Amino acid sequence: MTGTSGTLHKKSRSLLLHPLDLTIIVAYMITIVVVGLVLSRKVHDAHDFFLAGRSLTWWIIGLSIIGTNVSAEGYVGAAGGAYKNGIAQANFEWIGAIPAMILASLVFIPLYWRSGVYSIPEYLGLRYNQTVRVTAALIASVFSVFTIGVALWAIALTLETYLNWPIWAGILVTGTVVGLYSTAGGLRAVAFTDALQVVIMFAGGVFIGWLGISKAGGLDAFATALTTDHPDHLSAYLASDHGEFPWPGVLLGLGIVLSPAYWCGGQAILQRTLGARSQWDASASMIFAAFAKTFVPLLIVFPGLLALVMMADIEYPDMALPWVIKNVLPPGLSGLMFIAIIAALQSSIDSGINSTSLMVTRDIRRVIFKNANPDSDLKVGRWTTVVVLLGGMLFAPFIGELGGIYFLVQTLLSLFQGPMLALLVLGAFSRHPTANAGLITLLSGVAVAACLMWYGLNMLYVAFGTFCYSVVLLWCASYFTARSDQDLSKLVFRYG
Amino acid sequence: MADLPVWWANVATVVLFVLLAALVMLIPKATVIGDAPDRRWFRDLRWWALLLIAIQLCIYAIFT
Repeated sequence: MTGTSGTLHKKSRSLLLHPLDLTIIVAYMITIVVVGLVLSRKVHDAHDFFLAGRSLTWWIIGLSIIGTNVSAEGYVGAAGGAYKNGIAQANFEWIGAIPAMILASLVFIPLYWRSGVYSIPEYLGLRYNQTVRVTAALIASVFSVFTIGVALWAIALTLETYLNWPIWAGILVTGTVVGLYSTAGGLRAVAFTDALQVVIMFAGGVFIGWLGISKAGGLDAFATALTTDHPDHLSAYLASDHGEFPWPGVLLGLGIVLSPAYWCGGQAILQRTLGARSQWDASASMIFAAFAKTFVPLLIVFPGLLALVMMADIEYPDMALPWVIKNVLPPGLSGLMFIAIIAALQSSIDSGINSTSLMVTRDIRRVIFKNANPDSDLKVGRWTTVVVLLGGMLFAPFIGELGGIYFLVQTLLSLFQGPMLALLVLGAFSRHPTANAGLITLLSGVAVAACLMWYGLNMLYVAFGTFCYSVVLLWCASYFTARSDQDLSKLVFRYG
Repeated sequence: MADLPVWWANVATVVLFVLLAALVMLIPKATVIGDAPDRRWFRDLRWWALLLIAIQLCIYAIFT
């Protein structure tokens, strides 16, 4: 999970780039497309397209996981959040990620791998029934299109801010570039371009840190200014009555529900681990990503603290990162940092369209249309990729008018992540939950979450409350619903 | 939950990570190593998970 505090504001329109920066940006765009097209030669069937022919190594997958995870709000919003709230913003990268990543690596990924599935809804289909599979895939696909639209809009806004491009042009160019390499190369192209994008992100972050600390008078001066002038910004947790991130909500909602639901059940994240060349590579990739994730705050939180120490003259917290780029980095490196932001967004979009295409092609189409020809999966998958991307592109221009749509999407996500996690955890650790109890829990859990949200409860508490409700209901309802004779030996985790 | 002291959060975090470390060590080595090409010590991902947990404990001890 990453922060959620918004995006670039239009007031940074004056941040136009140097010609050297523009050259670097164009070179990057061309490189990404060429890499994707070259890798497309290895795509011969749906197995290659969706799972890269199960050939990916742990470090490529690990970098790709981080690329998928760090998105618009992660890069721009987290710097703004750190400027406003301090180091507590990094909870999204630490308590809100690391425990769940460890669980995903050592428990859930081996389970998914052993069951031989392409997707998490497919696992739920095997563990419960096909109705649960289609319901989970439908929910995840609809929200994925929303988030793709949000990411496209964020890129368009960034391009408008730095290059003065109209919003429609930013959406069109980004959609074309991402669409070209994702549609042609599938998961392999997505993973390799993600890895390249993460390297650029880390390089940009290192330069910002190095040059920023120099401009702030050195590490000692930076640390002294932070501890003396802003000691409240150095606390990992905020007060329990904090409006956005009260610490009980962060621990219970984010740490125990939203983060595990995202890292142990998120298709966009886990799909690349299912494309690993071995189970060990799949598990190791998540541990490697967790190490990288530990240091992600240096990239996305540090610029906010730097702007604070350097007493940036900004009107909105989300202006912290653009201010740092403009005032700290020289020409050339500004372009690199600009690419890092674009790369963070692109890697989220390409992973979203690839995973949604998989769920629509296999988890929805194959179940609803039982006579669907499996040999046509590659063709259908490619067309679905295009349709999903076009859906996101059509939705993107309206996001600015709708205001806090990203917050809305995050809030709506918290509606079903509690019940979904309950199904995954109990289903993975116990043979007791039944298929019908699973379906009842999934549907009623979403309804309960909607009611709690209607009463104005913080979304973190909604997630935790519905998770508890779903665990109890799933366990109890399983006593009264029919049990199948299905062999669960590969679908349930064993300690021995 | 309006009056809960912030230091409780740090204590709860330490407890959470210690419990996670215990859970990690309960997972059999064979499950973790799986189909790795050899059985050398660094293939046992449980040790890397424990190192991650130790780093997190340090971070939350510093930023109290």
